[in-house]
Amino acid sequence: MLTFEHVNKRRGARDILTDITFHARPGRVTGFLGPNGAGKSSTLRILLGLDRPTSGQALVDGQRFASLRDPLRSIGAVLDGSGAHRSRTGRAHLRWVARSAGIGNARVEELLELVGIADAGNKRVSTYSLGMGRRLGLAAALLADPGALVFDEPVNGLDPEGIRWIRLFLREQAQAGRTVLLSSHLMSELAETVDDVVVIVGGRIVADGTLAEVTGNHKNLEDAFFALTGDRGAR
Amino acid sequence: MRALRAELSKLATLPFVWLAVAAGLIVPTGIAVITSLTTTPGSDTGFSELAIGVLGAIILGVAAIGSEYTAEGEESAGSRQITTTLTAVPSRVRLLLAKVIAVAIATAVLAVVAIALVFATVHLLLGPDAPALDGDTFARATGAVVYWVLMALLGFGLTVLTRNGIIPMAVLVANSSAVTVTYLLAQSIPAANYLPDLAGMRMFTTVSTSVEIAPLTGGLVMAAWVIALLIAAGAVFTRRDA
Repeated sequence: MLTFEHVNKRRGARDILTDITFHARPGRVTGFLGPNGAGKSSTLRILLGLDRPTSGQALVDGQRFASLRDPLRSIGAVLDGSGAHRSRTGRAHLRWVARSAGIGNARVEELLELVGIADAGNKRVSTYSLGMGRRLGLAAALLADPGALVFDEPVNGLDPEGIRWIRLFLREQAQAGRTVLLSSHLMSELAETVDDVVVIVGGRIVADGTLAEVTGNHKNLEDAFFALTGDRGAR
Repeated sequence: MRALRAELSKLATLPFVWLAVAAGLIVPTGIAVITSLTTTPGSDTGFSELAIGVLGAIILGVAAIGSEYTAEGEESAGSRQITTTLTAVPSRVRLLLAKVIAVAIATAVLAVVAIALVFATVHLLLGPDAPALDGDTFARATGAVVYWVLMALLGFGLTVLTRNGIIPMAVLVANSSAVTVTYLLAQSIPAANYLPDLAGMRMFTTVSTSVEIAPLTGGLVMAAWVIALLIAAGAVFTRRDA
């Protein structure tokens, strides 16, 4: 369970996040939706202890991320890109992450196979396509078989095949009992994947409920989203 | 311990670190060849080469943290590694300690190998004119190892603050090789002798300026600078957004 309790974030004179409160539950895929710049990434970065909230807190199974004993076993995250240095090989990247959690190299090979970049394991990350970088980031997130998964814009930069692959993958993870939280600004990509929906606009939560609840009387999630965000025009 | 193993693994798989290692070995050995063939051996033979070869240590220290912040355009797969690092090791104090220890270990090994190469070179080329491998030489060699480690940590600490390796690397490498700004400064301002690099050099070379500093004192002065810098870097690193 991932919990956000009254999280506020101020940067200079600007309120980035205002009173962010919601949960992502185990066994469900929670879609965290909002236009670009709404505060999705900032919220996820606070959950992962990368940024500090001005007030409020984000908890992983009731604990702050920074106080987790075995963070990679609690939560796997894929934020921007691969999270790997460009001149390291994909395999070397996974190996150092594995070391930090006391995981052996055999598991690294398993993950390279699972995400489909085993052939590129010895190539430098700078030679990877955006999609391969995403897969590498995913492999790092899954190394320690975490109870929760967090993705920032998981379908960005993926080809249709990759998008389908990640959708099926996310559903499987939730069915296996994991908590899955993913952010996106692409509504149509997500409607088939998510169970719960949280909508953020301008740093505030404007809707929070099951897919059916948030869609309401609208034709689909996309219509509901644009009604909520007040942007009825073409994207 | 896991964090340390992860940091050592990072260093060993970063090509730029191997460039630092190559620089740290080739530069002082190369200069030792040139000076042995062209100049009369003196009390600093072998050691003044190490004062320049320290640029390898500086590059290593800077790369250890600068590489965390290397960013690229949207279209590339590479991205800032610091997000991965901090999700793997969320305690920033523990992370910074692991990095400092990893840099110290790697630099000490590099320094020992560099010293062995430089002294093998001067003995091969100068024969009996080379400095004797006595207790004094070993004490100074130990001082050189400490100097390399502290210079690496100086570069490391500055780069924690700047989050970009280019400026600390340019300033420190230039100062230790091309234009020794601190040395020139010490010619007119006596207090400049207590700047970290000049103070630390007393551990293994005979710097002649207006102020005499004993080797141990010089080492302690340099260590104090580096510890103060690392504490400041730690305070900033634990408080700011990644």
